[in-house]
Amino acid sequence: MSTGAKPILSMKEAVRRFAPDGQELIIGGFAFSDPTALAHELIRQQRKGLFIMKTSGGVLVDQLVGAGCVTRVLSCHVWNSVGPVPAHCFRRALEQGKPHAIEIEELSYGAFTTALAAGACNLPFMPTTPVQGAGHFTQRTFLPEKFAVVENPFGGGPVCVVPPLKPALGFFHVHRADEYGNAQLFGPAGEMRFAMAACKKLVVIAEELVDTEIIRQHPEATVAPGFMVDAVVVEPWAAHPTDSYGYYYRDLAHHALYGELSRTEEGFRRYIDEWVLATGDHAGFVTKLGEKRLAELKVRHRRYW
Amino acid sequence: MSATRFERMLVTGARCIADGEVLFVGFHWPMLMARIARRLHAPNIVIVYENGIVEDRLTPTFPTSPCDLVAAEGATVCAGSLDALYMWLGSGRVQMTVLEAPIVDRYGNVNTTAVGPYSKPKVRLPGSGGGTELSSLGRNLTLVNASSSKRSYPERVDYVTSPGYLGGAEERARLGYKPGTGPRTLVNPLGLCKFDERGEMYLAALHPDIAPEEAKASFGWPIRIEGGYEVLPAPAADELKVVREELAHAKERYYLLPEA
Repeated sequence: MSTGAKPILSMKEAVRRFAPDGQELIIGGFAFSDPTALAHELIRQQRKGLFIMKTSGGVLVDQLVGAGCVTRVLSCHVWNSVGPVPAHCFRRALEQGKPHAIEIEELSYGAFTTALAAGACNLPFMPTTPVQGAGHFTQRTFLPEKFAVVENPFGGGPVCVVPPLKPALGFFHVHRADEYGNAQLFGPAGEMRFAMAACKKLVVIAEELVDTEIIRQHPEATVAPGFMVDAVVVEPWAAHPTDSYGYYYRDLAHHALYGELSRTEEGFRRYIDEWVLATGDHAGFVTKLGEKRLAELKVRHRRYW
Repeated sequence: MSATRFERMLVTGARCIADGEVLFVGFHWPMLMARIARRLHAPNIVIVYENGIVEDRLTPTFPTSPCDLVAAEGATVCAGSLDALYMWLGSGRVQMTVLEAPIVDRYGNVNTTAVGPYSKPKVRLPGSGGGTELSSLGRNLTLVNASSSKRSYPERVDYVTSPGYLGGAEERARLGYKPGTGPRTLVNPLGLCKFDERGEMYLAALHPDIAPEEAKASFGWPIRIEGGYEVLPAPAADELKVVREELAHAKERYYLLPEA
């Protein structure tokens, strides 16, 4: 954590520098602003043994699991929300141990949000959704202390609490950032502000790099002040096939394409070969999507900012 | 063509929605029901989603999920999950909560996580998302199950993703869940179920062509049926028209629709 200018890195370099094998990292996005471009680069660099935290798993987590990059997942759900259809690789890993077994730990979205809020504010714990008796409460794998029940010190019965969650590293998609790391996200923010602030190290992946004077025009949209950010990656279309509010829509056809191919291991490998490995980098991926598709996905209405 | 069971389920669910209320709507068919209700009799509902979006009018495009940000077009609020789940839902400001419940048991516990043993599931499902919050914190909770297969109604779910009354209403209250929460209604292709004071589900209303014995056979336990159960009125022409328009729209948006 520091002030001053931050390194502006390519995705390749950011992954090389921040995410070695075995890295614990939280990836931002809640089925929108999912930085799929990051997952693709982790796959290209053949990462192994990652511990991925992600509130909404989606296609991004499914691809990392299918490509064998992951040994642990902490999430509140993993699926392909267009259709909807299952996250097939995630299912194969948990049902059949393919390509290898993974460990899963689960929180509800509210519990995940409050654990991150406690982490962000450095609170010892935080009251959360009552989940006593539910599966997430009783079923614990690698986080045996993910919930506790305390007596309300002010009277009124039992209260379910979560400990602070402080991920070692975070990668978050944002709309724009400046050279100091001031990062802005417009539209709904889900748990993102808490999640970013909970991270010990933070890399933002911005659709565009802008001058600080542009940031100053809408300070209310800054979700991470520059002093919390360690590096900036500039990567247009980084969240495709999910949406980026004000920039582009969810690519339904691509979700469906992935959903269909990933039904089999062979189809999944074909997707990865064709869309991830052969494209070389995210610019190559975007070129493969083609001008026509990009034009359809671009948000045409005027932004308020 | 007369209405399919699925279409009647959508109409029945939409009719449960009262105009002017604040609704917390979960993904999938609950979103479609709220959209249908808004077009028919409930134009003034205000819908909140788990990501912090507040939608108070019909969006031009039907979202594929609450996080498909066509849901945010024209929104009056774009906030976050702490706002949605706790400031609005947990605080009691939301008057009705609608949650999809593809596998649901005798006490309204919902499983969207795993069928079979958790560590070696026969079928691994997506998990909770915000579903747990909807059922733990939501007022006037309405569950929606588009299936009438016995597999979807076990006596006890293998995994409680979204807690209903757990082992009964007394258990839910003892563990610290707030009064006024817990499932009230379940809508499915057969009709409507309600929950009694012990937290047990019973058949309260059926569509006209469904015999009580047929309905009872869909449940994995001997479900009680009210002697004077209600027979639901068939969808009106305007209701069916809106349902079919919205189903066509959903199909264009890549929704997988049940076969007629």
